[in-house]
Amino acid sequence: MTPAPGPHLSAEDLDAWLAGALSADAQSHLERCPERLERTQAEQEVVGMLSSLPLMSPSAEFADRVMLSVTVPDPFALRSLESTRRRLFATRRTAALAASIALLTICSMTASIVWTLGHQQSLAELGAWLAGEAGRAAWLAVRGVASNFIEQPWYAGLRNLAAHPTRLGLASAFASLVYVGGIVALRRLLALPTPGVAHANV
Amino acid sequence: MPSGPEWARLSDQEVVLLARGGQEAAYRELIRRYERPIFALLFRMVRDRELAEDLSQETFVKALNAIESYRPEFKFSSWIFKIANNAAIDHLRRRELDTLSLDGSPHAETPEAMQATALQIGARQESALDAVEAKELGGAIEAAIGRLRPEYRSCILLRHVEGRAYEEIAEILDLPLGTVKTYIHRARNELRQLLAHLK
Repeated sequence: MTPAPGPHLSAEDLDAWLAGALSADAQSHLERCPERLERTQAEQEVVGMLSSLPLMSPSAEFADRVMLSVTVPDPFALRSLESTRRRLFATRRTAALAASIALLTICSMTASIVWTLGHQQSLAELGAWLAGEAGRAAWLAVRGVASNFIEQPWYAGLRNLAAHPTRLGLASAFASLVYVGGIVALRRLLALPTPGVAHANV
Repeated sequence: MPSGPEWARLSDQEVVLLARGGQEAAYRELIRRYERPIFALLFRMVRDRELAEDLSQETFVKALNAIESYRPEFKFSSWIFKIANNAAIDHLRRRELDTLSLDGSPHAETPEAMQATALQIGARQESALDAVEAKELGGAIEAAIGRLRPEYRSCILLRHVEGRAYEEIAEILDLPLGTVKTYIHRARNELRQLLAHLK
């Protein structure tokens, strides 16, 4: 038998043939062409083998391992975000209010940027004046604290102590000792209790 | 929150919505639905059990961490298969594997490692002879699939093992529909020739 003229079967034709829904033309072509029929049957066997490949599963702990690397969103945070969004867009009035506030904010920020760019000289002068005033105020504060310090009744004794290096050394050593003692006492007070007492047997 | 049998009634899109709402059980449901097909596809693409499991994990972590970017007008299966296929193709590009070892991973260095990574087929056989025959047949098909070009492999696995429609395969692989049909046609032809000795 000579091969029948006509188109070869496409992938879709084979699917249709497997489903028993091949067009009459293609069907008659197959019937008149044993070579094509044999080839199609072989492909059908291949498809059958592919469909019967065994099912495969990953290991039993697969889902747990995946979940260790997945970030699940916090439902509470999502709900509060969602409720804010809902409240904001609940009515036309609230939506219009939100839009007006957003527009006002954007407009004022834009105006501020434009003004700043147009008045750089004035801003520099203002900055210099503010820095000068701040410096003067700081110096005044330091002088006030110093005068107050000098007026204290114990200032003369302190000055007398500083005039003799031996006395000053002794006073510093005493102060350091008191400081270290205080730290040790504080550490003992803050130490956690030991978890178990060996001889308690309770 | 839905319980066990109720999950089954929900569509993928509905489960995704619950996952977006912060329900961990919804994430687990998506993993339960797709772990087997994704793992099977990746295993047959890379032919190494451990590697397939790593790539499956990478696929799920990527998909689930980006669940906000999933667009519900598309099928979830297409989306996750696309991520899995990209992971496999990226891997194959990095490391070109061309032969299938039925005795296990080509990277296994010890007999234990070969055993651990060996192709596990024939779990449903009844007798020892059946098991041997099925293993040989299954092994021959797996080997033949392994000899296809990666793009033919993706197409044929998605079509005839996973039962996906041509349009969905085109979407998953980012290929024109005509190209998918051509690839499937050629892949079947190649498989027919590679498996001719089994007759």
